[in-house]
Amino acid sequence: MKSNVVYCLHNERGLRHVTKLLKTTAQVVFFIAFSKLADMLVEWLHLPIPGSILGILLLFALLKLGVIRLGWIELGTRWLLAEMLLFFIPSAVGIVDYGSLVADSGLRIAATIVVSTAAVMACSGWIGGRIAAFKEKKTI
Amino acid sequence: MINAMLWLALTVAVYVLSKRIYRRYPKIYLTPLLVTPIVLIAALELSGVSFAAYDKGAGLLSDLVEPATIALAVTLYKHVDVLRKHAGAIAAGAGCGAVAAVVTSVGLARMLGLQTNVTDSLAPRSATTPIALSVSHMIGGVPTLTAVATLITGLLGLLIGPLAVKALRVNSPVARGVLFGTSAHSAGISKALEYDAVTGSVASISMMFTAFVTLCVTPWILPWLT
Repeated sequence: MKSNVVYCLHNERGLRHVTKLLKTTAQVVFFIAFSKLADMLVEWLHLPIPGSILGILLLFALLKLGVIRLGWIELGTRWLLAEMLLFFIPSAVGIVDYGSLVADSGLRIAATIVVSTAAVMACSGWIGGRIAAFKEKKTI
Repeated sequence: MINAMLWLALTVAVYVLSKRIYRRYPKIYLTPLLVTPIVLIAALELSGVSFAAYDKGAGLLSDLVEPATIALAVTLYKHVDVLRKHAGAIAAGAGCGAVAAVVTSVGLARMLGLQTNVTDSLAPRSATTPIALSVSHMIGGVPTLTAVATLITGLLGLLIGPLAVKALRVNSPVARGVLFGTSAHSAGISKALEYDAVTGSVASISMMFTAFVTLCVTPWILPWLT
């Protein structure tokens, strides 16, 4: 293991790899700290929005104002967004505590979600398409 | 403590493995979002470990949902010109979609005679998970149920989204992006990115807009639906 690390550090490609890993980790830590800060602000100021929304608005503003540079947080962003599905897994596993509800109403819940999702797709796709097409025509 | 860390490690391991399998065989029933929870639930059932014990370790992953959501600000920042150009289409499509999601979810659930707390848990399911969870909390739903309903919604986006695109002949990247981002949050974005970059960024913005609309309107619409 140790010799492996030493080898890595002696090898230029390996070194770049380690640097990238460290940078990604540091940037993810930044995002964690930032989200804690957003949560604290929401609590202190009694804001009616969740910390994640405040966090998005705040970070967007800081990027726009140039206080935070894109390059400083890009690796962390890429990792967090690429692995986003992983973070939802524990909540999905939580369904084990609702076995009787699933047995009793599972089918009806599933039917509701399927039909409603199809309705949302039809509605958003159609309206979005109509307005986008209208705009294209206007610019031509 | 060691046990908790083991469950965390197992969750990550199953996820990484299923992701690798999915990359080689990109079949919808092999998607990691479906396979990983099923394998873990089976492991919990077989070992007789409770969810509370599992969540002590694996729950650390849930703490990354919020930082990941905030990271979407970077996507927004990068594609702000797309947003500006198509603001009307995104706002109208995602806005109507978000309202339709709440109305049809609650309406159908009530029609099928589901309990009130279940109905309320289904209301915000089209929004991205962290927002859906806080809305569910606000209106008296069961957050775990909302998490699962939101997850199923995402899976459906992967499954029927491409079919809907074909059936409804949604040919413009903007409309496709609105469809995926509004109906299936982050899972929808990952599918949208498979089309092209514009579809992906419109989907990201639509997801955020949907989350915002869901957050603002759900507490207001619910009383009207009773």
